[in-house]
Amino acid sequence: MLEKKIITQLRKAVGKDAVLTSKEDLNTYSYDGTTTWAHAPEVVVLPTTTEQVSQIMKLADENKIPVTPRGAGTNVSGGSIPIKGGIVLCTTKMNKILDINKTNLTATVEPGVVLQDFNTALAKQGLFYPPDPVSFFGCTLGGNVAENSAGPYCVKYGVTKHYLLGLEVVLANGYTMKLGGVTVKNRTGYELMMLFTGSEGTLGLITKITVRLLPMPPARKTMIAVFDDMEVAGQAVSDIMGSGVVPAKIEFVDNFVIRRVEEMTPMGLPVEANALLILETDGSPAAVEADAQQILDILKKSGAKMPRLAKDDAEAAMFWKARSAGFAAVFGAAHTVMAEDVAVPRDKLAEFIRRLGEISKKSGFFIQLLGHAGDGNLHPTIFTDIRDKEQFAKAQETMAEIFRAAMELGGVLSGEHGIGLEKQRFLKEAMDPVAIDLMKKIKRILDPNNILNPGKIWEEERV
Amino acid sequence: MAKSKQDRYEQIKRFESDLTQCMKCGFCTFFCPVYQEERIEPSVARGKNMMIRGLLAGELDYTKEYAERLNKCTLCMACTANCPAKANIPNVIVAARADTVKARGLKFPYNIIYRWLLPRRTLFGRVVRFASWFQGIFLPRTEGTIRHLSMFLSALGKGRNIPQIAPKFLRQIVPVVNKPPEGVKTTMTVGYFTGCMTDFVLPDLGKHVIDFLNRNGVEVIVPQEQGCCGAPVFLGAGDFDTGRKMADSNVKAFEGLDYIISDCATCTSALKDYPKFLADTPEREEAYTRFASTVFDISQFLVDVLKLPASAYKPSAEAKGKKVTWHDPCHLSRHLGITSQPRQIIKSIPSVEYIEMPNADRCCGMAGTFSLYYYDLSKQIADKKVEAIKSTGADIVASSCPGCEIQLIDSLLRNRVPVKTMHIMELLA
Repeated sequence: MLEKKIITQLRKAVGKDAVLTSKEDLNTYSYDGTTTWAHAPEVVVLPTTTEQVSQIMKLADENKIPVTPRGAGTNVSGGSIPIKGGIVLCTTKMNKILDINKTNLTATVEPGVVLQDFNTALAKQGLFYPPDPVSFFGCTLGGNVAENSAGPYCVKYGVTKHYLLGLEVVLANGYTMKLGGVTVKNRTGYELMMLFTGSEGTLGLITKITVRLLPMPPARKTMIAVFDDMEVAGQAVSDIMGSGVVPAKIEFVDNFVIRRVEEMTPMGLPVEANALLILETDGSPAAVEADAQQILDILKKSGAKMPRLAKDDAEAAMFWKARSAGFAAVFGAAHTVMAEDVAVPRDKLAEFIRRLGEISKKSGFFIQLLGHAGDGNLHPTIFTDIRDKEQFAKAQETMAEIFRAAMELGGVLSGEHGIGLEKQRFLKEAMDPVAIDLMKKIKRILDPNNILNPGKIWEEERV
Repeated sequence: MAKSKQDRYEQIKRFESDLTQCMKCGFCTFFCPVYQEERIEPSVARGKNMMIRGLLAGELDYTKEYAERLNKCTLCMACTANCPAKANIPNVIVAARADTVKARGLKFPYNIIYRWLLPRRTLFGRVVRFASWFQGIFLPRTEGTIRHLSMFLSALGKGRNIPQIAPKFLRQIVPVVNKPPEGVKTTMTVGYFTGCMTDFVLPDLGKHVIDFLNRNGVEVIVPQEQGCCGAPVFLGAGDFDTGRKMADSNVKAFEGLDYIISDCATCTSALKDYPKFLADTPEREEAYTRFASTVFDISQFLVDVLKLPASAYKPSAEAKGKKVTWHDPCHLSRHLGITSQPRQIIKSIPSVEYIEMPNADRCCGMAGTFSLYYYDLSKQIADKKVEAIKSTGADIVASSCPGCEIQLIDSLLRNRVPVKTMHIMELLA
């Protein structure tokens, strides 16, 4: 338990209402989007200014209290779970959009701004911020930076790190540091901003974010293609990517998701299909027209059944909704849902899907599959029950096989979710030991007392 | 005697599938009016649901803090409407409130109001009358046609602009049987569930509803034995025992009638919720289910059952030539799926211009007793609604829930926005 005087000091720093201590309230900060982990903090603090964040960090550092940064807690890595107790520093009340500059094509926001609120504000001015994690209704931009998040648009537009121009970061000792600026070009010293991007809250607290923007593409078109065979769908994606056209999104949904979504909200999805690709092109009307035709031609040649344009905006919206409901379909399907986040090179998709089939057959586990096929980032998922020790251990072993298959094909452990708690047992296999050691050294320089989100990314050495 | 585990979680267990359906994606944070103001996890459906899971897991108990957090929900259903997993967390919250009441009891003064006063219609009427004598002394009087009491005991002294209690209650001025005037053929008979608001505060509205139906060939029965719908009791406070008493007496009061209409979205929805929450025996299940199937919202009844032609909708003097916008009561739109019927009626009225407001179905923050417990929060939620109304440039905001109307009157006055609040039936001649 934290000493009473710490709570008193926290209350003094941020105000009484911004400090939560009841058992009930703490319970609601013990989880994220995963199903495997839960741990309650000892106190939740909700600052509204950078100065307050700095005060909290000073206090925590002096008293060596763990601090777990948290946005909306929509992450799926265990990253925002306060596994060591201590303080949850929640940024949801720091939610002001400070500036949108249409001429400079930049925006500066506080970390607790919700992505969908940001998108709404930008749309009013004809502007576009592409990184689009599927949790956009809940997730915060601070969380997006800390996890270096991405979503379907990444095929054409890249991930969060490709849009960052400047950050304000509060260090573990409470010092407030500015990195980068508002210019697109900036070659001043090391790219320290990238240290904090994807740091999963282990190196500092992000308190201000400046991103670059794009004009909203004037036209877009959605296409759908149905496949009897998942491998063929995977090959079709590779064919498209190699054909000189870059769609904005290519999403993959398997039969399990099609059926589950259709059960939850009947919308007329092709329930017999073994795979469904949902694609989008965007840009000028003429380019969109030409790209769409080219993509449909390739899909047809690749063996898709009746690839076609969405009839109208309503049908397009329906297919995209089905895709985003896929998350619910999967995560609500079992007591414990183990979702992989591997990414493989885009020309290895079909091969990867074939290997998943083999692993499934061998292990006896059904492997559910959906994801961002266009960037090779699929989410093979296993349904299990953590309460059944034997089965859970087998599920974990199967997960390891999936990850190793991805690695053999030149893939990575995590495409977009981050390591957090969920994937740390694989880190040693996925990263050069010298690189892991370097990360630990950087961590020690920036956070000598190991108070920032301790217990995440790498497994702790057992003493 | 220690209660068995099953007993302690009796109602929650009935909604276990909703409880487990949530997969913590956090989408509800974007749509929850309470979370949008407070921005803390215990405000939102995901947090409340996890707290309830914590209770079942034995990590939490029926504490004051737990009860308080459960209480802070308007049951607007925006979470469920936008939930990718379609988890009905408001169901779980109502059930959890009921189990909490069992475990902790109701606290003064609500125990007096819910258990003793609301189920006794005549006595309740006398208390309301008594309170009305003092209302002018303690509270600012409101202008306009709508007058209100609200839950006077709590509202007193909070400075809210609340409408006045009527000098004569509806049931003191209309007979039980109201037949169509001579020359108009009676095509059907309906029971009129007046609700507390229309009865005590808006008798003119009630009279107008009866007149309108009579003129269109509908005989209207106003049973004297009907009481409060029970919404504040079983939905708000989680007092299912008292709720059952009220449900039983309402079912009995309307026995033999095939259609029951209500001009209050909350009442309509609460009456239809009897089987879901209150049916504890096969007999009640059957009686409540039948009863619920006969209940219709007034606009739904006019459009879907009576199928009135557009020509039946003529503007009242106050509505003639005005711009009108519509506020969807949560109990009408998300609870009952009634959104097109009221719009169709308003659009049919000659000389009235209909303007849709942004987020018309967003909760106004009233939510009955919620606004008494959390008046400041309720005001913050309402201010967003006021902005939306203002943006339309309408002269009148129409709705069909006296609860919402009170909130709209208070909020528009407080923000000095000169838009009049009216019940949809008051737009009609």
